Amino acid sequence: MELLSRTQLITALGAVALALFVLDLVRRRKLSEEYSLLWVVATAAVAVLGFSTPLLTGITRLLGFLGESSTVFAFGLAFAMVMLLYLSVKLSRLGSENHLLTRELALLRHELETLRDDSDREPA
Amino acid sequence: MSRDVLVIVPSHNEEASLPQTLSELRAEAPDVDVLVVDDGSRDGTAGVARACGVAVVRHAVNLGVGGALQTGFRYAVEHGYAVGVQLDADGQHDPRFLAELLAPVRAGDCDVAIGSRYIAPSGYRAPRARRAGMVVFSTVVQLALGQRITDTTSGFRAYHRRVMEVCQHEFPKDFPDAPLLIALARRGFRLREVPVLMRERRAGESFYTFGKTLYYPYKNLLSSLMALLQRHG
Repeated sequence: MELLSRTQLITALGAVALALFVLDLVRRRKLSEEYSLLWVVATAAVAVLGFSTPLLTGITRLLGFLGESSTVFAFGLAFAMVMLLYLSVKLSRLGSENHLLTRELALLRHELETLRDDSDREPA
Repeated sequence: MSRDVLVIVPSHNEEASLPQTLSELRAEAPDVDVLVVDDGSRDGTAGVARACGVAVVRHAVNLGVGGALQTGFRYAVEHGYAVGVQLDADGQHDPRFLAELLAPVRAGDCDVAIGSRYIAPSGYRAPRARRAGMVVFSTVVQLALGQRITDTTSGFRAYHRRVMEVCQHEFPKDFPDAPLLIALARRGFRLREVPVLMRERRAGESFYTFGKTLYYPYKNLLSSLMALLQRHG
């Protein structure tokens, strides 16, 4: 097996560190399992590419990239785009839900005030 | 006497113009109920409205005119109103035309009546950029529906209960203009324009100003297209 290049090693170790950090965030309940999945998959992919030289060179040749590091970065970038799109979708949904809750809250509060006024008016 | 018309007044920081709008409304149309939707105002809008003796619903944050209208629809449906009328707080909409706006909806001739500035010559001159936008969106609506709506941005409209029942759940966000009209017509609701005169706003800020000049055309064109493509069951 060929020796790992320095770039490969740094990338792979960085990916492992990031994966551990992501898992730790889940453990501390700062990140929900749902969002952690994409991160764990992506970091695992980068780590595998980084550690396995034959796989990396194979994919690089297959896709016609000029260098192995480009392959790793291309995967990283693709992941970032997917993640951003996913977040935009989530954010849109969160916005709609927020919108709905604001309206619902306004109506409920109005109803509460109306009921309170009515009960104040009734003789004790 | 049972009241079956609810006038919905979306208001965002309108304490200056609201009292006059409401008293004028009461004078012209004493037999309708009024709901002010205070859309996250930071001034005394809600208090001013309550002092006028009308129902007030307050959004904790600003949702935009579409959100305010949607809250009004929900309220109207829950309280059993037959027709909902949208009327601006700033005094642009003259309540003298309320009866004319209500008539076709009540008679069952249409489901949405739109008070239009451009059917009858009114002397209203919009700024040039806005006029261009109006021509564009009027054309978009015509292409999409085959029906000519001259005033797509008019916020002076009457909606039948059937329309409000749908809109309380599904509604284009931000600006309830061309995309809303397309979505409604695609659902089979009949739109009709009624000539009205509009006035200058009394005070306060337009919903359509601050920094939205670029976003507005983009968002409205896209959402008009989507309204055409989306399935309406």
